[in-house]
Amino acid sequence: MAEKEVVETKKQKKEKMKKIKPGRLAKREARMGYVFVLPWIIGALAFLIVPLCQSFYYSLNRVVLNPTGMKFVFRGFDNYAQISVQDPTFLTDLANYVVTTVISAPVIVVFALIIAMLLNGKIKCRGLFRLIYFLPVIVVSGPVMSMLTGQGATSISSVDASTIQRFLEGVLPTNIAETIANLFGNMTQTLWYSGVQILIFLSALQKINPSLYEAAKIDGGSSWECFWKITLPTIKPMILLNVVYSIVYMSNNGNNNIISSIQTAMFAGTTKGYGYASAMAWLYSVIETVIVAVFALILMTRKDIYQKQVKKAKKEAKKQAKVLKKVQRREMKHEAKIAKATKA
Amino acid sequence: MAYKGNRIGPEKFEKGQIKMMVAVLPLVLFMLLPIIFIICHAFKPMDELFACPPEFFVHRPTMDNFTSLMKASRTSNIPISRYVFNSLVITIATVIMSVVFSTMAAFSLSKLKYKGRDMLMQVNQIALMFVPVAVMIPRYMVVTYLHLTDTYWAHILPIVAYPVALFLIKQFVDTVPNALIEAAYMDGATEMKIYTHVILPLIKPAIATGGIMIFQQIWVNMETSNYYVNDESLKNLAFYMNTIANLNNTVAGQGMAAAASLIMFVPQLIVFIVLQNSVMNTMATSGIK
Repeated sequence: MAEKEVVETKKQKKEKMKKIKPGRLAKREARMGYVFVLPWIIGALAFLIVPLCQSFYYSLNRVVLNPTGMKFVFRGFDNYAQISVQDPTFLTDLANYVVTTVISAPVIVVFALIIAMLLNGKIKCRGLFRLIYFLPVIVVSGPVMSMLTGQGATSISSVDASTIQRFLEGVLPTNIAETIANLFGNMTQTLWYSGVQILIFLSALQKINPSLYEAAKIDGGSSWECFWKITLPTIKPMILLNVVYSIVYMSNNGNNNIISSIQTAMFAGTTKGYGYASAMAWLYSVIETVIVAVFALILMTRKDIYQKQVKKAKKEAKKQAKVLKKVQRREMKHEAKIAKATKA
Repeated sequence: MAYKGNRIGPEKFEKGQIKMMVAVLPLVLFMLLPIIFIICHAFKPMDELFACPPEFFVHRPTMDNFTSLMKASRTSNIPISRYVFNSLVITIATVIMSVVFSTMAAFSLSKLKYKGRDMLMQVNQIALMFVPVAVMIPRYMVVTYLHLTDTYWAHILPIVAYPVALFLIKQFVDTVPNALIEAAYMDGATEMKIYTHVILPLIKPAIATGGIMIFQQIWVNMETSNYYVNDESLKNLAFYMNTIANLNNTVAGQGMAAAASLIMFVPQLIVFIVLQNSVMNTMATSGIK
């Protein structure tokens, strides 16, 4: 019975908490919050949200461009269905994109972390190295990158991709082995994409309190243990940020062949047109979102042990309360039965 | 470790650094490849530009590409200084506005509580995923609706709300401890004061990174000049460099394009070096642990 009372009082407390209106301070905070976001909201609304919604509307229509303006013919999800008929290569491109992104995003992030840790150590000309590692980010945006790939500068000639592939094919299924071998082939390209990530990791690493490491050293922790127990948990939010950033960057940069096929479809006369291209873009971004969501779910910061225990205890209490209620109900029923019997 | 001014590396070379050097140095060479390529490419004479198999390094450097670029720009109606001025105005305005708005929004989304906050963040994340090509035409409709075509605003406004920058800066604001903000409240600071005196100094590295990213976006941006601006005298330098290389015949244009890409690259390098320096300095002095 005592437990039941406890549960009840908790419920009452919760109800009371809900009834309390936000105070003056909270109201002011909310007001200021809106004021601070407002300029960004206006900008985003005009140039991001409205265009996004419009492009979704286009993707449901057949868009005919006239000299006088645009004409829309509503056709539901036909544009989406048409993609598989008109562009079978687009779907295979999408599948390839998913595989390469899922493999290369972690590679970029791990590489960036290693480089950031190296650059965070004490070496001569550290500043110069930092500069150099970030530089490719400035360069590789745009036409320079395509020139470089054309010159064959992106593959390391000494690393023979075909030998690696042959070796991997013995162990793994063919298409997985191929993507991994491709990864080796495009190693330098992968490195060039990781400048921003290195910078983000570096600034996170510098914020870790050095006395933490000292304490661990005094307790006899090796640098291996320090990495897993101190460095990694502290920079975990930045890992998530970097994964998301690399995926988005890889997916939305101009050298992506899916984007170029969307662009060609946009101006490809009457059969495809803008509505069809919008449908392609939406399909693409939905897939991109799914990939990001999967990574985010894996990397979401887990609650610490204390919170876990509290949650467990709460669950247990709830369970007990349920059992108690059941027993009581049964007793009541039983009593009623007995009363009925005695009456009769 | 005490703060020792601007120097970030140790003064002397020690034996312990060798293993790190071994790991870092070969990768540095790879990272330098694109820069070397750009510089070499700009100085290549015609026959080396079209050499087969292509050459990576330049053998007989010439200034031909630059002189032909100059010649081409002299024959056009509008002087090149006009485009440089346009690009400067557009870039400076965009970077300042974007950084101010993004940091304000990031502070609000991360540290202040109100209804709809999480929803706004979600919207930003969705916008982050979206392919820029797809919103091109709707954006044009918005620009014409607001009567912004043929103004500087057509260049500036579409980039101001840059979701990647907001996402990055917000993640950094999250790491600022709440205790600092509460302490500021205790001392009677308003939200504005907290923003300028607590948040901004602590997230300087994020501001610099975001600033670099926005700068890159706007500096090489040809989309806005292509689609939203018809007046030749209001287009930016990136567009001009691109057209001048394509206007003349493609063979001669190759050399000019190489020279133009070097010219476009130098300001980016300077901006990065300046901002990068400020990143490193703030990291050494930032008080939070």
